[in-house]
Amino acid sequence: MAAAVAPALRYSLLQRRPLRCGPGVRAVPGAGAALRPCSSRVAQDGINQPVIDRIIRVDHAGEYGANRIYAGQMAVLGRSSVGPVIQQMWNQEKNHLKKFNELMVAYRVRPTVLLPFWNVAGFVLGAGSALLGKKGAMACTVAVEESISEHYNNQIRTLIEEDPEKYKELLQVIKQFRDEEQEHHDIGLEHDAEATPAYSVLKTAIQLGCKAAIFLSERI
Amino acid sequence: MAAAGGLRRAGWRLWRARRAVVRCQQYPPLRALQASAVLRAASDEHKKEPWASSSQQHFESPPAEHQPEEKPQGSHPSYTGQGGQQSEDYESEEQLQHRILTAALEFVPEHGWTAEAIAEGAKTLGLSVAAAGLFHSDGSELILHFVSDCNTKLSELLKKEQKLVQLGEAEKKPIDEFLRDAVEARLRMLIPYIEKWPQALSVLLLPRNIPSSLSLLTSMIDDIWHYAGDQSTDFNWYTRRAVLTAIYNTTELVMMQDSSPGFEDTWRFLENRVADAMAMSNTATQVQSTGEAVVQGLMGAAVTVSNAGTCRAVRAELLLNVSMCFPPTSRGQHGKTVIFHNLDLFKGDFIGSLRLVHCFVVEELE
Repeated sequence: MAAAVAPALRYSLLQRRPLRCGPGVRAVPGAGAALRPCSSRVAQDGINQPVIDRIIRVDHAGEYGANRIYAGQMAVLGRSSVGPVIQQMWNQEKNHLKKFNELMVAYRVRPTVLLPFWNVAGFVLGAGSALLGKKGAMACTVAVEESISEHYNNQIRTLIEEDPEKYKELLQVIKQFRDEEQEHHDIGLEHDAEATPAYSVLKTAIQLGCKAAIFLSERI
Repeated sequence: MAAAGGLRRAGWRLWRARRAVVRCQQYPPLRALQASAVLRAASDEHKKEPWASSSQQHFESPPAEHQPEEKPQGSHPSYTGQGGQQSEDYESEEQLQHRILTAALEFVPEHGWTAEAIAEGAKTLGLSVAAAGLFHSDGSELILHFVSDCNTKLSELLKKEQKLVQLGEAEKKPIDEFLRDAVEARLRMLIPYIEKWPQALSVLLLPRNIPSSLSLLTSMIDDIWHYAGDQSTDFNWYTRRAVLTAIYNTTELVMMQDSSPGFEDTWRFLENRVADAMAMSNTATQVQSTGEAVVQGLMGAAVTVSNAGTCRAVRAELLLNVSMCFPPTSRGQHGKTVIFHNLDLFKGDFIGSLRLVHCFVVEELE
């Protein structure tokens, strides 16, 4: 067993955990005699593929989920006074999703298996929070956007620790999206999110759910 | 004594090359490293005896020691560098093992995927047959090396084809033809070893090897789809790869038992499976669009019904207003008569009649 596990261990340059097979080749570019019975995928200019994989996968899942949350909210509150506000935020999320779709293809990252689940869960969360009223929808927005902003900040930190130059484009994208998510968070607060009954309970519950979603999407 | 002397010399050489510093944290690779150094010493000095005893050591040592793929230099970036080739005057362990396994492949048709083939390969490189002791006795590393090699060759082939298409020198193939050609090209690489391939498949299915073999398989399938132009970012990503994996595996199995000239039966089987997959995906798309059309139709019908109801309600309200023109004292009677008349209009329209009752009640309360 050890003979199989150990060969599968990769001491990729900046990897904190030994990885099983797979993208290990990239961590050691040009190691011509790669006796690695694993990935035959070509290294993309020495980027840390496992880390980038996770980042893009989880961000894609996040934007997909956010898209569905706003869709759910619009389904309930589309014709109310906050309809245009939600629609505008939704449009921005659609742009984010489009950008991550492009990045996903460019970096050859696989999407998370849980996408169909996030599809339903996001819509249900959006519609459910909207049924609590406009303030409920805004509270949901605040909770989710706060979670996502923090998550993007973590990613920015990770990428800067690795190599700000190599990941310049990705860093720029994530920074811009983080700023827009922060905007959404502020818009939510402006619209009396905090006046929702049981605001703190709702917020905590939603943020816990977001953390779980992030954890799962990174890995699965 | 001579063995100790040989080992000491090899060890000294190691020390001068400073590799021991890197490896000292890892006991198993150090022993493997000593093994390769000893092998070189042996080949240099042609000392068979001390070498035989040390080789026995290796045969008896636990399998955990043989970890050819481990690369402990990962924690020292300067070591691996960009060039891959280290600045020392001799090759790395992995490169040596790579060379041995490559050389061993030509003996596989004769000896199978076994330590004998590896031993023969080592002999051609001028090393001793005990080099086979560096590897597992069931030939796992040899098979995995071969599969990895084939996958790399396939990637390069697909990349070359893609370049030709980009330069405009070749036509872009339709997806089913592309998949067919890619799988065929990959399976053709098995032809020289086809006799012994069933044995290799069974070794690849050993629990010990499953992570590696699965990873190799998935990356190959991913490569093929990537060059086929797949840009899906939803669950289709998984469906497509699952389908192609199934096609590949079944075709491989058919190939094992195919005795037709030039494996015609296999390629025909492959063509049929790819055609099936394409048909299935077309059907799926059609079902989806039919479903969407049906849903839209139902929504339209619902809207029409509710509009019809609204029309009736509007009419009823008009009639009610007309009934208001009657003086209040007689309104009750007249109103009721009017309502009874109007109720005829609402045969079966419960909602409409509710609306009328509502209007009436509101009027009364006012």
